[in-house]
Amino acid sequence: MRRRAIVWSVLSSGAVLAVGWQLGAQAAATTGLAETRVSPDASSASVSGGSAATTPSATTPSATTPSATATPAPTTSEAPAAAAPAAPAAVSGTFSGTSVSTRYGSVQVQVVVSNGSITDVVALKLTNDDNRSVSISNRAAPVLRTEVLAAQSATVQGVSGATYTSDAYLTSLQAALDQAGL
Amino acid sequence: MPTHVFETMGTGASIRFAGDLPPAETLTPVEKCFDGFDEQFSLYRSESEISEIARGALTLPLASERFRDMYAEALHWRILTQDSFSPHRPDRVLDLSGLVKAKAMAAAAAELRAADLHDWMLNVGGDLLIDGNREGSPWHVAVVDPDDRRRLLCTFDLDGSRTSLATSGTTERGEHVWRSRATSTYRQVSVVADDIVTADVLATAILAGGQERLDESVESFGVDVIAVDADGSIVATERMRRAHGFAA
Repeated sequence: MRRRAIVWSVLSSGAVLAVGWQLGAQAAATTGLAETRVSPDASSASVSGGSAATTPSATTPSATTPSATATPAPTTSEAPAAAAPAAPAAVSGTFSGTSVSTRYGSVQVQVVVSNGSITDVVALKLTNDDNRSVSISNRAAPVLRTEVLAAQSATVQGVSGATYTSDAYLTSLQAALDQAGL
Repeated sequence: MPTHVFETMGTGASIRFAGDLPPAETLTPVEKCFDGFDEQFSLYRSESEISEIARGALTLPLASERFRDMYAEALHWRILTQDSFSPHRPDRVLDLSGLVKAKAMAAAAAELRAADLHDWMLNVGGDLLIDGNREGSPWHVAVVDPDDRRRLLCTFDLDGSRTSLATSGTTERGEHVWRSRATSTYRQVSVVADDIVTADVLATAILAGGQERLDESVESFGVDVIAVDADGSIVATERMRRAHGFAA
């Protein structure tokens, strides 16, 4: 069930990288991408790749988004085949972004490019401070009830509960407080 | 404590004042504020604008600006809660009730302040919004025990910027919240926040979305949460674990 959080983190980071990519070869260094030579074909193609990765999540967030690879992939980045200077052909290869800090921890995204189009966005690293968790940590912990507080209900001014109907209100502690004027 | 009780939005409401009870001419506009939202957004009223939408007699582009704004805000929350809160019911009926009550409470609070009324507590159907304090003391509030509504689960103070406490549950009116997926086993969720809309929407979202939504709500919105699970066990965020009624 934490996959969705991961998916969102990955997609947002992926979108950032894809946008950075779109800025062109000059900007590639600032995005931290391993590949610094991106042909014009690749930059234009990556626009559609980037939107394809983000659009479905904006309209129908789903745990089954294709890029929902939750397990950190051990794959290291490979030098792309079309890395020759001034290569006119569309770029193919696997590119790794730098690690980006998010509120869910560090995220590193790997982008797979085939003939100038992004075909996959994969989370390489999704860690917490302890380098183990892949999602945000639990924010609520179990608590145990002590003795019933019924006797102290007169000491509160408001009672919160799921009181959706008038009948429910009339039989609620809040109604008792209101009627008693306590 | 001076208290004004009235009925609106299908449930009971009260405003309690630390000072004297204001005159009726001051409180009437506050009640009318609720009635305005009720008449426009209640699916149980066949003449309401939302019922016209549900019947297909009115389309969204032709709806009133306030209606479209409310729908837009509901969609905004739907994105923020990753679909756990949604105005779209599985039966394809547009339902804004998860947002309307809190919006009405916020509007009523503005009415009260516009009338220069301070130091009050507004309770509508178990959702609380406070202003100020009671003669220097913080407002002391409780969350009801879903297993026995005559009992309290815990008590704590609302103070500082923490003005709002909302509770969503499945204990009354059956499954009030449509669960989009079977990830949640929470029966009752209470959220403390700086504003009533955030508190109410997130209580609903966490009830539907479970622990994942709870964790992300705390992370993203800084709210405090007490949730009761199907087996009666309770989880609470750090600040709420100090509430009276819980073992330390």
